[in-house]
Amino acid sequence: MNTKLLSLNEATRTVNSGSNKVALLDNINIQVYEGEFISLMGPSGSGKSTLLNCIGMLDNFTGGGYTFLGEPVHSMKEKNRSKLYKEYIGFVFQAYHLIDELTVWENIETPLLYKSIKSSERKALVADMLDRFNIVGKKDLFPQQLSGGQQQLVGIARALIGKPKLILADEPTGNLNSKQSTEIMELFSQLNKEGVTIIQATHSEKNASYGSRIVNLLDGKIVPE
Amino acid sequence: MIINYIKIAFRTLLKNKGYSFLNIFGLAIGITCASLIFLWVEDELSFNQSFPNQDQVYYVPTNQNYEGEWRTFYSTPGPLAQDMLNDIPGIVKASRSNLQECLFAVGDNSITRVGRYADADFLDIFSLKFIEGKRDDAFKNPEAIVLTREIAEQLFGKGEKALGKVIRVNDKDNHLVTGVIEDLPKNTTFKFDWVAPFERYQEGEDWMLEYGNNFSDTFVELAPESNFKTVDSQVRAIIGKKEENTSDYAFLHSIKDWHLRSKFEGGVIVGGRITYVRLFTIIAFIILLIACINFMNLSTARSEKRANEVGVRKAMGSGRGRLITQFISEALILSFIATLFSVILLAVLLPQFNLIIDKTLTLGLSNPVHVISIVGIALVCGLLAGIYPAFYLSSFKPVEVLKGLRVTEGSATLIRKGLVVGQFTISIVFIIVTILVYQQIQHAKNRELGYDKDQLLSMRIDEEFFPKFDVVQQDLIRSGAVENAALCNSQLLSGGNNGSGFTWKGGTDTEDVLISFRNISQGFFDTTGMEVIKGRGFSNNIEADSTYALVSESLARMMGDENPIGNVIARGEDTFEIIGVVKDYVYGDMYDASDPVLFMHFHGYSRYMYIKTKAGVPINEALSSIESVMKKHNPAYPFEYTFVDEAFDAKFRNEQLVGELSQIFAILAILISCLGLFGLAAYTAEKRRKEIGVRKVLGASVSGIVKLLSKDFLKLVAISILIAIPIAWYFMQDWLQDYAYRIEINVWVFIIAGVVAILIAMLTVSFQAIKAAIANPADSLKTE
Repeated sequence: MNTKLLSLNEATRTVNSGSNKVALLDNINIQVYEGEFISLMGPSGSGKSTLLNCIGMLDNFTGGGYTFLGEPVHSMKEKNRSKLYKEYIGFVFQAYHLIDELTVWENIETPLLYKSIKSSERKALVADMLDRFNIVGKKDLFPQQLSGGQQQLVGIARALIGKPKLILADEPTGNLNSKQSTEIMELFSQLNKEGVTIIQATHSEKNASYGSRIVNLLDGKIVPE
Repeated sequence: MIINYIKIAFRTLLKNKGYSFLNIFGLAIGITCASLIFLWVEDELSFNQSFPNQDQVYYVPTNQNYEGEWRTFYSTPGPLAQDMLNDIPGIVKASRSNLQECLFAVGDNSITRVGRYADADFLDIFSLKFIEGKRDDAFKNPEAIVLTREIAEQLFGKGEKALGKVIRVNDKDNHLVTGVIEDLPKNTTFKFDWVAPFERYQEGEDWMLEYGNNFSDTFVELAPESNFKTVDSQVRAIIGKKEENTSDYAFLHSIKDWHLRSKFEGGVIVGGRITYVRLFTIIAFIILLIACINFMNLSTARSEKRANEVGVRKAMGSGRGRLITQFISEALILSFIATLFSVILLAVLLPQFNLIIDKTLTLGLSNPVHVISIVGIALVCGLLAGIYPAFYLSSFKPVEVLKGLRVTEGSATLIRKGLVVGQFTISIVFIIVTILVYQQIQHAKNRELGYDKDQLLSMRIDEEFFPKFDVVQQDLIRSGAVENAALCNSQLLSGGNNGSGFTWKGGTDTEDVLISFRNISQGFFDTTGMEVIKGRGFSNNIEADSTYALVSESLARMMGDENPIGNVIARGEDTFEIIGVVKDYVYGDMYDASDPVLFMHFHGYSRYMYIKTKAGVPINEALSSIESVMKKHNPAYPFEYTFVDEAFDAKFRNEQLVGELSQIFAILAILISCLGLFGLAAYTAEKRRKEIGVRKVLGASVSGIVKLLSKDFLKLVAISILIAIPIAWYFMQDWLQDYAYRIEINVWVFIIAGVVAILIAMLTVSFQAIKAAIANPADSLKTE
C-alpha cells in the first residue's frame, strides 16, 4: 500500500446564512493515498468544489480533522499552511484562470516566483514543461490568443511546474469540447501513472471513469457505496 | 520578481489606456502644480540667505506710540547708529543708510538709479564683493561712489574700467568711482545700484545729527559671540537714554526675517509673507493628495478586474505581502511616469508661471536638491496612492473571487465616496476663495480714493528744478496736452514723511497724533483731482502762503470745530493758519484709513512732479509734448515717468498673486477631481450595465437612466458643498481681518460656487451616464 497523503476525519464546513447554519460539508471521512486518481461526483451544490477548496487549503473546514502528510492542517497557522500547499498542491480550474497580462511562459513561471526559485533554474523548469506539453511555439502568446484546450493545457502545466504531490482539478474540462476534454483527461491519466495524485470534481461519467476511485457527494455528505 | 511586476504593470497600463491616461494625467497635473509651488516656496525661503554674516546682521526698526498704539517704522534717528556702536559692546558695526534715486551722467550717457547713502560699515555688514577697488579704501574719500557691475557697465561700457573715473550726479556734483561691486542676488529684499558716503547726504542738514527726527535706516552687525537677548535689550533702551520725553524704542530685526516676517502689529512681528508661504505649501500637499485620491478611487473601483488575478496568484502560492508589493510597485511605476510628464509640463509652464508671480524661477535639474525632491514626490505619491488599493486588493479571498462571486465592496465604496467628497470640498473651497479674493481686490480698487489716478503721471525731480517749476508748468499747459502740473515731496500713493508733536487750538493731548506732511506747489489739488471741500487752496504766491496750511478732513474732524478755517496748528516755533480742508484720500495702506495730512505750500524736499494730461489727447501725443517741454527746461535728465494708475495696480500685487494663484489652484483641483469623477462614473456605468439593460427592456427612458446614474454622484457633490462652505467662510473671514477696508462675505458667493461645482460635476458624470443609457440593451444582456 502507498503512503497516506491526506485524511479527513468528520470534516465539516458550515456557513451562516441569515440566522441558520448551513452545512456545506457534513462529516466527511476520506483517506487519500499517494498515486490515487479520485473523481468527486455529484449534482451542482453537492459540495464538490467546497471540498476541493478545503483540501487545497484555499478554504478551511470549520470542524473535524484534516491531516496532510501526517501534519494536522486544522490546527496549523496560516503561514505554515500556505507553505504546505505551495510545496505539495497544484490547482487546475474550470475557467483556466490564467493571468491575462502574462504570456504562456510567464504564467507557467509564476508559481516558481512565489517559491523563490532562482532565475536560471526557473528557465530550465519552464522550458522542460513547455517541451513536455508541446507548446514551445506558443510560449510568447497571451492567453486570449489560445484556444480553450490550449489554455487548459497551460493551466495544467502551471499546476505541475512546482512538482506537486497532489493536483486538485475543479471541472477541468467543463469549458471544453469533447475532443479537447479527451485530450486533457488522457493527460491526467498519464500524469497519474507518473505518480501524481489527482482529485477532480466532475459531472461527467466518462471523465470519472479515468479515475481509480469515485466518491459521490450529495448535500454535503458522502453517499455510501 | 521585480521585473515580473514591472512587466505586468506596463501591460496593465497599456491594456487599460483610458484608465491609465486618467491616472497619469491627473497625477502629472497634481505633481506639476505642487512642484511650481515648491519652486516658489524655495525662492521665498532663499531670500537674504546669501550674505556671509547673515546670522549677525540686523535691521533696526523703531516702535513709536501714537494715540496709544505702537506702530513700527524702519526710520530711526541719525545718531543712533554711532551711539549703538559706542555704547553697546555686542555691536561691532553699524551704519546709517538712506535710499535715494539719483541721476548719473557720464558724457551724454545718463540714467537714474536707486541707491544708498551709507556709512563705511555698510560695505562690511553686507560683505559687498568688490570687483574693482578695495572695500577698505572705498569710502575714504567723501566724494566716493561705489557702483554695481550692472550700472558701471551701463555708464562706462562693458569691459571698461570704472575705477577712478568721475560721474556727474544730479547734474550738480561730481563723484569719484572708488569701487565696483558684484550685482546683488535677485532674492535680496533691499535693492541698490550704488552706495555713497552718508556725509555727502547730510551735508548742510544738521537736523540729521539730532535725535527727534526719524528718517534713516540703521543696520548693525553683532559680534559672533554676542548674546542676542542682551544686545537687543540694550538696543531697546538706548533711545530713551539719549532723548528726553520719548517712548520710542529701537529693536533688532534679523536679516533672515526681513523678507518673510516683517509685518508688525502693536510693535511685534505678527507674520508677513511667511503666512502665504505656509499656506501655499499646504495647498501644494492638498493638490498632491487630490491627485493621489484619484488613483486610489480608480484602482479600487476597477478591483473586480484585478480580483481574478489576485485569486489566481494566491492559489499559485503568493502570500499577501507579495501582492501588496506588486500593487505598490505598480503605483510607483505609474507615479514615476506621471513625474516624467510633469517635468516636461513644468519646463513648458514655468515661463508663464514666472510672468504671473513676477520671478525668474528655473527648473534647475542640475541641482541635486531638485532632483531628490522630484524623486521624493514621485515616491510619496506612489506610496500614498498605492497603499490603500494594495491592501484592499490583496485582501480578496481566492475561493470567492475565483468562483466569480461579486467582490463585496462595502468599505471600499464608502471610502471612495468619502474621498470624492474630500476632493470636491477642496475644489469648492478654492472656488469660493478665488471669488472672494477677487471681490476684495476689486472692492479696494474701486474705493473712493479722493483723487483721480487716471491720466496722471509722476516724474522724479531735483532741487535744481524748483525755480523752473512755474515756467515749466506754464509751458506744459500751453502745449495743449496737459491739464495741470504740480510738485509734491512724497509720492501720492505712499506713506511716510510724517511726524507728531502738533498742537492746535481747542485740542488736548494732540502731541502724539501722527500727521503726514505734504509739501506741495500750487495746482496740486487740481492736478491730482483732490477736492478742497472748505476754504481755498494755495495761491500763486509762495511767500504769502508760507504761514498757511490745508488739512485733510480727518484732521479737521480732530480739531473739533464746525469750521476749522482760521484755526492755527503749531509744531515747535512753526505755526500755520488753516485756510482750507481737503477731502480724505487713500495713501500708504490701500485697505486702511489713512493718517491725517497737513499740506504746506513749500518746494523744499520736493521729489516728484505730477502731470495731469488733458482728456481726449492721445497719451502718446501728450507724452511727446511733455517730453519736449522737459527737454527744453531740464536737458540733463532723461525723460522718465510712471503712470499713477499703474503704480496703484502694483500696490495690489500681493493680493493679486493670491487671487491668481487660487484661481489656478481652483481650476486644477476641479480638473483633477473631475478626471477622477469621470473615471468613477465610467466604472459605475460599466458595473451597472446589466441593470441598465434590464431597466431599458422594462421600459425605462434614457433620461430616467441618466438621472439614476448621476443622482449618486450629485449627492456627493452636494455634501461637499455643505462641508466646504463653513471651511471657506471661516478661512476667508480670517483673511479679511487683515484688511480694514474689506468686503462683507455675501451668501451669493457660496451659492455661485455650489452651482458651478454641481454643473461641472453634472457635465462630467452625464457623459458616461448618457453613453450607458443609450446603449442597446440587447448587447449588455447578451454578454452576461
